[in-house]
Amino acid sequence: MVPSCVNNRFKTCSVLPHIITRIISHLVYSVNSVSSVTYAVSLFFFFGAAAMEGRCAVETWAVGLSGTSCTPRVKFGLGTDVFFCTGSDEVYVFSTQERKLTAVLQFPDPVSDLVGSHDKQLLYVACRSGVYCVSLQFQLSRAPSSPADASSSLAELKIPSEFLVVAEEGVLSVLLVGSVFLTLSQTDTSWMLTLYKSSNYEMLSSFSLPLVSGVVHSDTEGQTAMRKRPVLICVHSNDATPPSSSEATLTDGHVRLESVLFKLLFGIDAALAKSPVILCGLPDGCLCFLPLRHPGSRLRVLRSLEQPVVFVGASVVMERGPGHAQCLVAVGELGKVVLIKTDKGGSEGGGNRTGFIEGCVPGPVMCGCVDKNCLYYSTGSDLLVLDLSEGLSRREGQEKDEETSRKTEAALRSPTSLNVCRVAALAEPTCNTAGEVQLLGLSVRGQLQRITLPAGREDARLSKEPSALVGRSVRDLLSAIGDVCERASVLKTAIKSKNQILRHLNQVLNISFLLIASASSEEHLPIQEKPIRCHGVTSWSRLLQKDSLNLTCVLDNPSPYILERGWTLSVAVFPLSYPPSAGGESSSTNFSFPFHNLHPGETLEVSLPLAAAGEASFPMTVSCSLIFSLASLLGEEAANLPGLQSSCISLPLNTLTVDWLHVLQVNSPIATHKKATSQSNNTTDTLQAFLRSRRIRCSGRGEGGGESASKPEREYSASIRVSSELLRDTLLLKSSDLDAHVQKWPPQNVGLSLLEWMLSEGPGGVTTGHQGDKIALSSSVVHAQGPDGHTVKLTAKEVNVEEGSAEKEESQTAVEVQVESSSIAAVCGLHHAVLRRVQTLLQRAPEKAASTKGVQSLGLRQVLQRAEHLLQQIQQSRISGAFGVGVSTGQMTRSLLSVYRELRENPLLIV
Amino acid sequence: MYLVTFQFAFTSFFQQRGGGDALSPDQNKPHLRWCSSEFHKLLKKIQGIPPLADYLQLELTVVYNVCLCSTAQSQFSEAELLLTQATERVLQMTGDAPVASDPPVFWRTVINSVGDTALNPCVLYLLCLQWAIWLSTCQLKIIQECQLFSVFETLSTGVWDEGRSELREKSSDIPLLVMDPRRLIELLQICTIIAQGAESLSEGRSSEALSGLQTASSLPAPRTLIAYTHLLSGSCLAHMSCPQMALQCYRKALETDSRCVCALYQSMLIYRQLGNTQAEIQGLRLLHSTLMLPFATEPALADTRLLSPSLLLRSQSLSSLLSVPSALSVLHNLALKCVHHGRVSDGVEYYLDLLAVLHSEDQHGVHAEGPPLPSLPELYLQAGAALLMARRPADCMALCDEVITTTLELLPEKVVLAEPEEKCEAETRALCAEGDDRVAMLLWAGAAYLLQGHCHTQLKDWKQAVTHYTRCFNLLVKARFKKGSNADMVGKQGTDLCILQKLKGLSLAGRGISFTQTDQLREALRDLQLSMQAFPECVSAGLWCGEVLWRLGRRWEAAACWEKTWSFTPQFSVESLSVYLQEPQSGPLLDSSELRRRIQELGPPLSA
Repeated sequence: MVPSCVNNRFKTCSVLPHIITRIISHLVYSVNSVSSVTYAVSLFFFFGAAAMEGRCAVETWAVGLSGTSCTPRVKFGLGTDVFFCTGSDEVYVFSTQERKLTAVLQFPDPVSDLVGSHDKQLLYVACRSGVYCVSLQFQLSRAPSSPADASSSLAELKIPSEFLVVAEEGVLSVLLVGSVFLTLSQTDTSWMLTLYKSSNYEMLSSFSLPLVSGVVHSDTEGQTAMRKRPVLICVHSNDATPPSSSEATLTDGHVRLESVLFKLLFGIDAALAKSPVILCGLPDGCLCFLPLRHPGSRLRVLRSLEQPVVFVGASVVMERGPGHAQCLVAVGELGKVVLIKTDKGGSEGGGNRTGFIEGCVPGPVMCGCVDKNCLYYSTGSDLLVLDLSEGLSRREGQEKDEETSRKTEAALRSPTSLNVCRVAALAEPTCNTAGEVQLLGLSVRGQLQRITLPAGREDARLSKEPSALVGRSVRDLLSAIGDVCERASVLKTAIKSKNQILRHLNQVLNISFLLIASASSEEHLPIQEKPIRCHGVTSWSRLLQKDSLNLTCVLDNPSPYILERGWTLSVAVFPLSYPPSAGGESSSTNFSFPFHNLHPGETLEVSLPLAAAGEASFPMTVSCSLIFSLASLLGEEAANLPGLQSSCISLPLNTLTVDWLHVLQVNSPIATHKKATSQSNNTTDTLQAFLRSRRIRCSGRGEGGGESASKPEREYSASIRVSSELLRDTLLLKSSDLDAHVQKWPPQNVGLSLLEWMLSEGPGGVTTGHQGDKIALSSSVVHAQGPDGHTVKLTAKEVNVEEGSAEKEESQTAVEVQVESSSIAAVCGLHHAVLRRVQTLLQRAPEKAASTKGVQSLGLRQVLQRAEHLLQQIQQSRISGAFGVGVSTGQMTRSLLSVYRELRENPLLIV
Repeated sequence: MYLVTFQFAFTSFFQQRGGGDALSPDQNKPHLRWCSSEFHKLLKKIQGIPPLADYLQLELTVVYNVCLCSTAQSQFSEAELLLTQATERVLQMTGDAPVASDPPVFWRTVINSVGDTALNPCVLYLLCLQWAIWLSTCQLKIIQECQLFSVFETLSTGVWDEGRSELREKSSDIPLLVMDPRRLIELLQICTIIAQGAESLSEGRSSEALSGLQTASSLPAPRTLIAYTHLLSGSCLAHMSCPQMALQCYRKALETDSRCVCALYQSMLIYRQLGNTQAEIQGLRLLHSTLMLPFATEPALADTRLLSPSLLLRSQSLSSLLSVPSALSVLHNLALKCVHHGRVSDGVEYYLDLLAVLHSEDQHGVHAEGPPLPSLPELYLQAGAALLMARRPADCMALCDEVITTTLELLPEKVVLAEPEEKCEAETRALCAEGDDRVAMLLWAGAAYLLQGHCHTQLKDWKQAVTHYTRCFNLLVKARFKKGSNADMVGKQGTDLCILQKLKGLSLAGRGISFTQTDQLREALRDLQLSMQAFPECVSAGLWCGEVLWRLGRRWEAAACWEKTWSFTPQFSVESLSVYLQEPQSGPLLDSSELRRRIQELGPPLSA
């Protein structure tokens, strides 16, 4: 009988700590970024002029819709086009020539990566459901041009699923190497690198590498969490001839590495086979490689960064070579920078060896790129540049390894700020005609930016500035200080609001733990013990000649905590059982009442309609819970946490039951009379009464109950016997507790007092709020009207229970409560309600010596036999019902009904 | 009511299967999963009532279908659990007490308790599935203990299927099965025999396996499986040292199923064992061309597709018997065999094919079982040696150049050769691995120079030859022995030390011979004598040393030198050494008969 939804609520609660952790980590992350900015600010003041040189021009080109499911990506595409995706399901095509967005490609799923093929003008886009291949020219030509102006219009293309070429789920990165198309995806336990033929997408082979769980664990907790994209690049040896002359310039994601380093890292075989090598930087920190064209090759780990790899690239570093990269650079998310280069052999053994130089830069690294000798990376709050050659070229003259490595680390630790914030993705740097380095960046908000670094940055820093420029530089300096101040003040308010949220969260947590603890530890506590609870009062009201039942729910907060903004009282009302006509669906009604502040000791009173007369079926379960929406806590920031929008903490309070006794409208003699007259005045009511009586009579006849032929209205009845001794004990005990009831219950009035008690107050926190005063019951017979309009009669009389003939002295008195009505629903409901009350009475009864042990032994056996017989009947009808053979439904119902009645008519004595 | 649901699930299963013939097994998987879950739901409904005789037949049929789907998805433990539950319900119905967990006793009790009622076939179907699960999980012992063959032999003669078809005619209500149990039994029988055969073969009980396999070859079964029985019979015969009969069996296997590559491979191995080189080479060539064929996917076997033979045959011993090396590895073997057995021109072609494949863009590191290919420099050197034998010195030099340029920058200044015992100490293992790499590179580069020297010798460009031999020697002296490495290490086969000494000997011999051609006899004598020290079994060095001595007028010494050289018995067989470490047959040669004549003219040696 326990509503299942209550259990569900408990389940929701167990998710709570998990969600809270996420919020806190989010907050901590933002506080971190704040501190890194303050770090940048202090750096700025320390190195004033030096940092000044790093100021650069930022030009916003276009804005895309920002999404959250994947890390954003920006790439140089075909010709002058730039592709970028912001983590949503759209890919934007921006023409650098026309300086405008030319197309928006919309895919069915969020885009995780994209790669363009230059020769065939194809764009491969990895989505959650697989990889799509789009021919841009074809798509653009097919796109419906807008009637207004075809040239300036933006083509919006929806990419249908027939462009899906590789149906592999969860592809995170893609790469195109010659005629081979590679995808990298993550399964539960491993990384899968799969090779496809790019001509027909036939799978060539697939390699896997077990997942290093330690690092990834923290961010794979939710499907909705932003998935980190592994870095996938292809390394060519510099002496390997390019596959075709047109590909002399390397495409995006391909780097050419100096041959000695290539051989050292990837082996002689790869070099001899002139095989390109795939290099993956995985979010679990592994840097691994795969020679593409070598039989029996497998994914091997080159190095572990022990933090998610954000960027892998190759840099020339030293100008000696003809421009081939001398050095591989890998950057981890937490700022670890690894330079991999050739060490000229010196001391023992001679020959060349692989040298790894590790360093650390401050701040979380969001993205990076590398040019001839600089590493550019963004921490989200700033864009920084790290001169790689500085650390490496100094090594030449050095003798001792330890000393040099220390110096390199020092060099790696002093990046120069460029004062550009919120960069989330970077494309490869280019040089314009003036010799300025240009970066293509994508901001967190989805803005495509071109960042132009001042030319000759290096030289300017070293040489003295001419005096004419001093004035200008002071002006620049001042404006820069202004910028920084503005940023700092914005961050300060952010911190303030975050503190506010944390305080609020603390309150919420306190309340949650209070309620969870009380819910889990002692489920059967009496209602008064609950820290925050609801109780209800039912009342009938008559509006527009229609009776309706209202329930007033009162939320009480005796706890020392404030229920603040964001809490909602939710009340779910649903019938305990439902009529078969309702289609087997339990109709539950939910009411929610958001409220602002509920201080300790205050109460909140809400009123809700339970049912109009004759519509609802009782007993009804009213379950109250407190709901806290996390989205309201974070306000605007909730948008950044996609999973949070729908997540709520739901804390169950208590469950009230409104049963038949609560909803009875007791007819006091006067009231009955009044009602009777008013009914007679009303024609429709009389008509209905008539119809009702007709119907009952008919069904009565069909039933063929012999003894009730003369009195059809009193057709059904059920009774309960309670030992009067018990009643006396419990009810008297109760009255002596309360000072208000001073008068002793006369012993002969036990039945009356039971009735009165049952009607006036109920267990489980619901009381009957009769309009006006308390009904004074004159006799032990109560006539009342049920919610469906049927009259019911409740009789309580004392009877002697005779136990066989042998032991007369054992006979004892009992109160028999008899329920009679013409409606079977009413009888059932009331019987149930009375039983509930008696149950609470029993719970309240003091422990008694087992004096009445032997009582009823004879009767008990009889009753048990009868019950067994009935059980057999029920089983029989269930089996035949299950197979749907033999008996018609009508027959079955009849037999079940008779069993029911038999059960109700001959009650056991409750002692 | 249940029947309706059942029919629905069932027909949808078959509709999909009927319409989805073109679907690949992969695409069929979600459908199978869906069907399985539907059957599961159905089963849950049916098991909600107490077991009654009237409904149990239906229930067991559903259990059969559910378990078959689960087994087809390799969910063996789940299927087994369902079977146990179902049989327990049967026992509950018949009122028998649950029995011991010993499977044979358990199943016998279940079958006995059902007796000869209508439930009997249903229980037997379930036993079939239990059999399939045991087979898939390689529990062959239990299958034997249960004597499943005898159980089903007595029954498969049509007692139950008659009853079934009769029933089906009577009403359409009789529940259908997703796979005909008779087909299932046939499949299980042959698969069991194959698995048992493989097992006993790997345990060395060949004759025992043979009889079972030979009877199995006449059972009704898919071609692939029949071919397996022939193949395994062949392997048994090969173990019993009846190679000719084994070859017959392999031939039969190939005739039955032309894609049974393994039979081809095994017969090649037999020819190799028999020493029939021509047949072996032929076999390798056939094997290679078969492996290069684009394999058609397994044709849809009408009823067995739900439960594929590969699912039932998962034993380790069988898969090791069925494994075939990759096409590249076969090609390499073929090339090597040709070069070793005098078919140099063929060998060269195969080597070039191999290198071309390795360089082609379509080659993408396909995984392969069996022995891995030697590393690329090794292959280059082997191909170079083959080219040299085929008198294509220019091509050989190009290949060697390639090896040299790749390795040159990485060559160490000096390297220490350690004994293999010392190498594998745990703390220095990483260092050793790197060191090994460097030694290997040194040896490759040295061998490449040696081959280039041979090329110049062949071209009679003595000056260049001397240069290259010198380069080789200079490289080799960078390697030092670790102190304490004793002399018998040198004799050990295949060690780096052995290769190093051999290279030294050959390069010195080559240089010595070149010096003789330019009449620098003193240098020639020094080199040839050093060569014989480094590598005593070098025949050309010995002969030429004698020749130089002869020319210098030290005739008795020359005669002794020649006699000593002729007395050498080659310690290594031809195939055990890398091709490029063999003495070149292309340089200036001395005629042995001429030398003997000279000794005779000299008269008997003066006794000392």
